[in-house]
This record gives sequence, C-alpha cells and structure tokens, in this order.
Amino acid sequence: MSRKLTKQSTILLVISGILLSSSIFFPWWGMKFIAPQYPEGLNIIVYPYKMQGEIEIINGLNHYIGMKPFSEESFPELKYLPYIIGGMSLLIFLTAILRSKKLLLILILLFTVGGLLGLYDIHRWLVDFGTDLDPSAPIELDPFVPPILGENRIANFITHSYFSYGSFLIGITFVLMVFSLWRVRKK
Amino acid sequence: MKKIVTAISGVVIGFLLATVFFADFTDIGPKSVADSNEKSNSEKVYVPFGEKDEYYLFASGGHSGQMFIYGVPSMRHIRTVPVFSQDSATGYGWDKETKEMLGGYTWGDLHHPAFSETDGDYDGKYMFATDVGNSRAAVMNLETFTVKDIISIPNTSGPHCAMFVTENTEYMFLPTRFAVPIGHKYEPLDDYSEKYRGVMSAVTFDEKNEKLGIAYQIALPPWSYDLSDAGKKMSKDWAVITTYNTEEATTNLEINASQADRDFILLFNWKEIEKMVENGQYDEVEGQKMIFPEKHKGAMYLIPVAKSPHGVDVTPDGTRFIASGKLAPAMTVFSFEKAFKAIENKEFAGERNGIPILNYESVMEREANPENALGPLHTQFDDEGMAYTTMFISSEIVKWDPNTGETLDRVPVQYSPGHSVAAEGDTVSPDGKYIVALNKIAKDSFLSVGPSHPESMQLIDLSQEKMEVIQTAPVNPEPHYAQMIKADKINTITVYPKDEANPNAVYSLEDTRIERKGNEVHAYGIAMRSKFVFDVNTERPDVIEVNEGDKVTIHLTNIDLDQDITHGFAINGYDLNIEIQPGQTNTVEFVADKAGTFPVYCTNFCSALHQEMTGYLLVKPKN
Repeated sequence: MSRKLTKQSTILLVISGILLSSSIFFPWWGMKFIAPQYPEGLNIIVYPYKMQGEIEIINGLNHYIGMKPFSEESFPELKYLPYIIGGMSLLIFLTAILRSKKLLLILILLFTVGGLLGLYDIHRWLVDFGTDLDPSAPIELDPFVPPILGENRIANFITHSYFSYGSFLIGITFVLMVFSLWRVRKK
Repeated sequence: MKKIVTAISGVVIGFLLATVFFADFTDIGPKSVADSNEKSNSEKVYVPFGEKDEYYLFASGGHSGQMFIYGVPSMRHIRTVPVFSQDSATGYGWDKETKEMLGGYTWGDLHHPAFSETDGDYDGKYMFATDVGNSRAAVMNLETFTVKDIISIPNTSGPHCAMFVTENTEYMFLPTRFAVPIGHKYEPLDDYSEKYRGVMSAVTFDEKNEKLGIAYQIALPPWSYDLSDAGKKMSKDWAVITTYNTEEATTNLEINASQADRDFILLFNWKEIEKMVENGQYDEVEGQKMIFPEKHKGAMYLIPVAKSPHGVDVTPDGTRFIASGKLAPAMTVFSFEKAFKAIENKEFAGERNGIPILNYESVMEREANPENALGPLHTQFDDEGMAYTTMFISSEIVKWDPNTGETLDRVPVQYSPGHSVAAEGDTVSPDGKYIVALNKIAKDSFLSVGPSHPESMQLIDLSQEKMEVIQTAPVNPEPHYAQMIKADKINTITVYPKDEANPNAVYSLEDTRIERKGNEVHAYGIAMRSKFVFDVNTERPDVIEVNEGDKVTIHLTNIDLDQDITHGFAINGYDLNIEIQPGQTNTVEFVADKAGTFPVYCTNFCSALHQEMTGYLLVKPKN
C-alpha cells in the first residue's frame, strides 16, 4: 500500500478544493417566514460573508416579541468565515500537491469537527435569538428554538429552515475527500 | 264581400287568441345564457380572488375634484386619488407639498383625464387632468398614483375639454369654456365681443422635473370651447375643437347660444403655431406669449358644423374627425385630407374674427343620422375603426361605420350617457373589447339613498356581434370622461426608494432630532411600526413640546420599507392629518396658535399595535 495518493484522488482533491472555495459565493443556509399577510414570504439568507433577504422587515416584526435585531454586525463569524473556508481550501490544495494520505485523513477529521462546530454555531444563535427575548416586549412569547432544518411555528409565522447551495457544495467537497481516501485504501 | 271580411277577421282573432294563450314569451328580453360553452354575463365580469382585472379605468370625478380608479371588467372601485380636492383619507391637502400645490383652493371640477402618449398610444407613465372650477391643470405620476404638479392657467376660465394630448405628449391644449377678459379684468358685458376672449393655452410637461408649464396662449374669439381631440398619424400636427355660442350671447345661453344654425370646429396646426412663436409672432400679455389670430395669421381655420356640437373625435387612423351635434341629432364625418386640400387651395367662405372659414361641403364627407337617435355627444372607436357614439337624450350607444355612415348596432343604457370610454378607444390602436357608458342618471337601479340617486357606469361587451351590457356599477358624482388602459402598461413602485440627498429625511433612530431656532421648531422624526420618534435622546421620544405661537415644522420619514405599511400622522384637535407611505418623507408645517395638550396618532392602520402609535404635542401657553 502506497503512502502517496493516486493521481485520480489528487484530481478529486483539486476539484473539492475548487468547490469549497467557490462555496463562499453561494448562500449556505436560510430561513423563510410565511404569514397570512406575507404569503410571498420573508427571507433570511446567510452567505459566509453576508446576509440577504428582508432583514429590516423581519427586524421590524421581531420587535413585537422583543427579539434582538439581526444585522451582519451581530454575527462576527461573517467576518472570518470566508478566511477559514479559504484556508481549508488551501490546505486541500496543499494535500493534493503533497499527495499526503496522512494529511488528507487529518483534513477529513478537521472538516468533520468544523462542520459540527458550524452546526452548533447556528444552533447557538437560534437559541440566543429565540430565548433571549426582551421581557418588556409588547407580545409575550415562550422562548423558542427554531430547528436548523425543517418547519416551525412562531406566533402567526411558519418558518422553514433549510440548507442552500453553499452547504451542498461543502457536502460534495466532504464526499469527494472521503472518496479519494477510500480509493487509496482500496489499493 | 262580407263573408270574406268575416272569414279573415275570424282567422286573425283565432291567431291572436292562440298567441295570447300558447305563445312562449320567455325568450324576450336579455337572455341569461347557461350554455356550457358560453359565459353568462356575471361570469364575464367575475374576476376571482387572486386574479386581477385586465384594464385600469381612470374616471374623472367631476366636482369631487378626484379621480376614481376602477378595474375592468369587474368594475370594482380600487382607489380614489385626490387631485384638486383635499382628501383626509390620504392626508392630501394638509402636508406642506400638497397644500402648496392646491394653492388655497379646497375643491376642483375634474374633467377629461388623459394619459401621456408615445406615438399616439398610451405609455402608462402619467395622467393629466383639468379643473373647470378653478382653471387649473394637474399631472399624476402612475408609479405612485399621486399628483406631482398643479398649475393655474391665467386668462382662461374653465378648461373643459382639455386635456387632450398630442402624439408624443408635446402639448396638452386647454381651451376655455367661459370667455373672460384677458387677466380676468372687469369689463362690461356690453363690450363682450371686443373685450372678452376664449383663451387657449398650450401646456407642456417636463418629465424630468415632473413640472407643468405654459408654452404660449391663443386669444381665440369669445366663444365657448367644448370638446377636442389631437390628430393622429397623417393629422398628427393638427387638433380640432368644437365651439358653441358663436352667437356671442351674454345672457340666457340656453336660448341665445342655440340660435345660429351653424357653430364652428376650430382646426389648428400646433406645429405651425410653434413656429410662429419661435419667430416672435406673438404679444407679451400678462406674462404670457399671446397669439391674436386676427394679428398673427395662419395655422387656424374654422369649419362650420351643425349647431351646438359637443364631441369631436379623431378616428384611430387619423384620417377623419367626427363631430356630434347635441342639438342637431346627427354625426358629421369630416376629412382631414379634404380640409388640407381646401386650405392649400384657399377655398375660404369668408372670415370670422380674423380666422378663415372653410366651406362645409369641401371638408364634410358624410352625415350619419341613425333613426330616432337623439343627442349624440361623444364617439369612441374599436379595433376595426367602427364608431360608438353615446346618445344623451335617447339613452343608448350606437355603433356605426364611419366609412359608410351605416348604423350597425344599438344598445340601451340607463340613463343619459354623457361620455363613453372604450378600451384604449382614443389611441391609434383601440383594443375593441369593452366600452363603458358613463351615465349621468341611474334612478331605480340601486338601493335608494334619498332624493339624489347615484350615477352609474355600465360595461358593454364588444366582443360579440351584438353589444351587450354585462355589468352596472354605481359611482360617486359624477362620471364624466374616462380613460381605459391595459393593466400591464402601468408599473407601480411598492416602496419609495431611500433618498439620502433629502435633508428632511431621517432613516435611522439615532438621527432623529428636534431643533429650535428662535420661535421656529423643526422636528426630524420617523414613523415606524408602531411608534413615532421625534428625538431619540429625550425622555419621551414621542413628544414634541413647543411654545404658543411657535412655527412648527415636522418632517417624518416612514422607515418601514415594507409594501403597504403606510403611516398617518394626525394632531388631535389641530385640524392636521398627513400620510407617509413606505420609505416616504413628508412634512407638515403649522403655527402652534392654540395652547394646550394635543395627542398625536397614526391614522392609517399599520400593524397590530397601531392603536398604541401615539404621542403628544404640548403647546405651552404664552404666560
């Protein structure tokens, strides 16, 4: 069994590096709020470096239940997340150049941990925004935590949380990395 | 002989009895079709929830000073847009801008709405209207359905037929209904013919700055100018106006202005008049460039027409114009081509007030006179160039062929239609699907509301071989003229875009402030769901405290950049109420001349806590 990655695995790694770095420019996660008076839905769309959607309108509504306003400033992650992703991509390219199996294994572990941390981070924010409600808000609501994925009901809004293209690219990146390691093992 | 008579009368009586007892009269009168292939009338006008109408109908609101917006075919009233009158529903006439625009007038008589045009077709950008009551012209922006500018027209009294818009909205011509001395000076009526004039104005529109202006005026003879239309295609540089009271009567016009057998149509070439003005062929009068036809000759001609005409309408192909007689029950088809030839050959039958008169016979093509059709007023057209004329006295619309004068169809309406409007029916390409009769009277049609009954509009389907009334809607006083435009030509905005250059706008809470300069108080506040913030740094940000006699200016920006979240701002007991649409900044200016405590509140329902959107204006007494 060779210690070096095969040519095929290397190519797969390069592709996964490209996919990972391009994921910066795609939305990763989002939430859609639908209510009778907003049948078209209001959106929060999260990119690694920015937020999009009807944030101001959502903030306008959220003040009724005493939720803190969302803004790009309130998520420091948005400032360094692109660099982390960029760094990871560079590591993948480095692994591909060195064709190091060991490094790839470490990378996959790092990726797994990073991914879990990312999910935990989203969850942490959801808990923070859903439970740390201003007690003097006009509408008193039991603290709530919307799911990372799936449907929830808050007051008159139905929320849909979903992963988007960016995280799909991450998923493909991860599969490609595991696959290239698996190819090597087979030899 | 006797036998024959007995036999015949026996047979006749037999038939009569059989008819009375056995004939089926049920298919007399309007049929309600339940056929699966054919739609019933209610199905034709039914627009299910979630779907929208095919056309916008802009109906002039007459002396309400407002414009009524309807959807066609449902005939649902969608919105009332205030133009010449204050409207507390929208705060129009109390905020600084609209108050200045209304110029101290509190009402208007809105007539003859007209869309801006490009190549003779509606472009859906602007709507113009005139005020007979106080001699003004207005322009409404169709992105926001709000009035952008109003101007007073000097020297003119009651621009009735206007606005009529030239092919590319170069000019709107506003002739006068009531002749007056120039500058509205006092002159005895005995000097009517010498001192009075029917001044017509060429109004321009500067689209960039959304401002109306007057290019020049024409001191026409002291007659009443009624309806008008701009030419199209081959006649695009020309326009036609009907006149009455060419008798120049000064009293009891009912009799005295109905004596002459013939009145006139004024035919003029606005392109040539434009050149005259460029060449300095005008007098400077009352600050206006005034053309006197007896002095500055050319470009204007009179055509004799059956007495007291009302409508004059140019056919969609621009080759003819049709005048309706009102008192002489016939429609006359005139030919532009013939008129141009007569002008070229100088075939004049004399002159009136310095304007050459063309021979009736050399311009007239044919007269159409449908049997017993009385009071023809106004003509619209369909996609095949067929004419539809409202009959005011016999209460019907008559469809006829301008090429032959042949009557094609007639449909009764209830009652007394003044004008009618067909789908894009006065453009170069009418749609031909619908025509709406704008009825002056609708007695017995709806639940009673006392001695004065509502007026009505009736929608008539033109897509079948026979015209058919398919919907009737009660309307506020009073339908006059209207314009019907394909709905997809209008592109409204949902939220006013942020205008960072506006010094009165405040888009964030931190920038709210109340500034005092001597006895002037300027508040720069925001309205948002569900509060007012005038100064975020005070103990009570929703309170404005001033001294008696202070001049107060309140600028409010609605920072809910969310469609349909409109806020109002009213000061209880202070007779003030304005509206701020999403993203808009609006200003109210007043002198705090009443000391006391005056709650302020949001008038336009904005959200669940709208009721709590309040504050106080505290006016400290002088001593």
